[in-house]
Amino acid sequence: MLLGAHLRRLREAQGVSREDAGWEIRASESKISRMELGRVSFKERDVEDLLTLYGLVDNEERERLLSLARQANTPGWWHRYGDVLPNWFQSYLGLEAAASMIRTYEVQFVPGLLQTADYARAVVLLGHGRARPEEIDRRVDLRMRRQSILDRPDVVQLWAVIDEAVLRRPVGSRAAMRGQIEALIDATGSKSVHLQVLPFRVGGHSAAGGAFSILRFPDQELPDIVYVEQLSSALYLDKRDDVELYVDAMERLCVEADPPERAADTLRKILKDI
Amino acid sequence: MAEDAEANGLDQDRTQIDTTVPQSARIYDYWLGGKDNFAPDRAVAEALAAQIPTIRTMVRSQRVFLVRAVDYLVRKAGIRQFLDIGTGIPSLDNVHEVAQRIAPECRILYVDNDPIVLAHARALMTSTEEGRTAFILSDLRQPQAILDNPVLRETLDLDRPVALFLVGVLHHLHDSDDPRGLIATLLQALPSGSYFALTQPTADFDASAMGGMAATAEQSGIPYVPRGRAEVEEFLSGLTVVEPGLVPIPAWNPLDLDYPGSAEVDRDPYSVYGWAAVARKP
Repeated sequence: MLLGAHLRRLREAQGVSREDAGWEIRASESKISRMELGRVSFKERDVEDLLTLYGLVDNEERERLLSLARQANTPGWWHRYGDVLPNWFQSYLGLEAAASMIRTYEVQFVPGLLQTADYARAVVLLGHGRARPEEIDRRVDLRMRRQSILDRPDVVQLWAVIDEAVLRRPVGSRAAMRGQIEALIDATGSKSVHLQVLPFRVGGHSAAGGAFSILRFPDQELPDIVYVEQLSSALYLDKRDDVELYVDAMERLCVEADPPERAADTLRKILKDI
Repeated sequence: MAEDAEANGLDQDRTQIDTTVPQSARIYDYWLGGKDNFAPDRAVAEALAAQIPTIRTMVRSQRVFLVRAVDYLVRKAGIRQFLDIGTGIPSLDNVHEVAQRIAPECRILYVDNDPIVLAHARALMTSTEEGRTAFILSDLRQPQAILDNPVLRETLDLDRPVALFLVGVLHHLHDSDDPRGLIATLLQALPSGSYFALTQPTADFDASAMGGMAATAEQSGIPYVPRGRAEVEEFLSGLTVVEPGLVPIPAWNPLDLDYPGSAEVDRDPYSVYGWAAVARKP
């Protein structure tokens, strides 16, 4: 998907239409579209031809993008979880693992990257209550594996705004909920996690629409990507105008929410009420 | 909790975010290659860059000066406390990162009048265990409000020297804002042995380019006042200016600190249209 974003940036900079790009690699306009969205695998030769069409002659830069193509074709660790992973979510895991900053807003659940195993299990059961126990285990495992990215604080930062409702609504047992709040209190001490609670006393606010995430990548030329999850699919937005609407909403949320230094106190108060 | 929020100026400032109006912090972010800016900010940033094509280099050199000045003050002047007004959106190497890398116990109070800057700074500019970073939403034009904010005393010990940083901010003050008076008020609150670091864009090196820059900025609603050498000297009156004195921004490098992004202007410091100095309060 990152390579796709590069390809789109280069194509647009050269003013080449999707149709013409498709012609160049003996494919359809929609194939180009799918490549740019990271929905199909990349043939190295196609990528080479496109880079030439887009006037990219710098060898080092070509090699860098071609290596992205090879990487994109190498399955990530999550590939082993294919049975419990819809395709539209696989792209997200790739982006999450490549991100340098993940800003997220949650209204219903604790962000996946901060969930405890017990809490995650309760969430999974809400959606897949009739699944076999082994499948439930695999879904929980998958979520726990994702969290390893936070062990590299120099690499990725997670900046989360969590609605107070997330912390008040019981998910799973009382013990699971307490364990989750305690884990969040621990997380506030982490160098890579920045947590803001959006308290009830803040009235209607800017992101009334619901949860979303904005991912930023270490490569400055890549656009930020907005991820909005739906029941059976997800939106990935990377057009500047679209992204900016979400960034604007996120900035408002961050200004409206309690500052990060107050998160631990708020969580401790909530823990007392459970 | 509501009381704390009010004390920190949060509640009354909730409504102030308006990303349809260009904002200087986001314009700088754009020039520095950041992504925390919006279409109106970029439009102004590009219009300004048309007046001074080297603007990105100038803005970077301002950041380089900041790094060099912090480095110098921690290493050579024993400074462990900083008051940075006009912080801007967190960038590479903010004051506390440079200072705490050398002396982890350094304490830094950041002040900005942009709520988005405050939100980013609070979330991302975290201190070492030994030191402290704190943030207040306040305006340089109300220095007494900055000094009276309880967070200032919680963060800085005003019986010990403090370095006041006004980097990339003085030109956003009109003369009618009385910059000399504001500086005097702030410095008066700091003890002897404190320092003052400033940058100030100037028309002294290229009057027409800087004139175009200022006019374009003002038209976009961004105050922009270039000042001549004599005016900057007035900002420093009563203080002892440390070597190398009041110089073009890239030329301020007493410790010969190598820092990425500076080589291009090191050859010709006058290609950056701004003055810089660090001075000590006797």
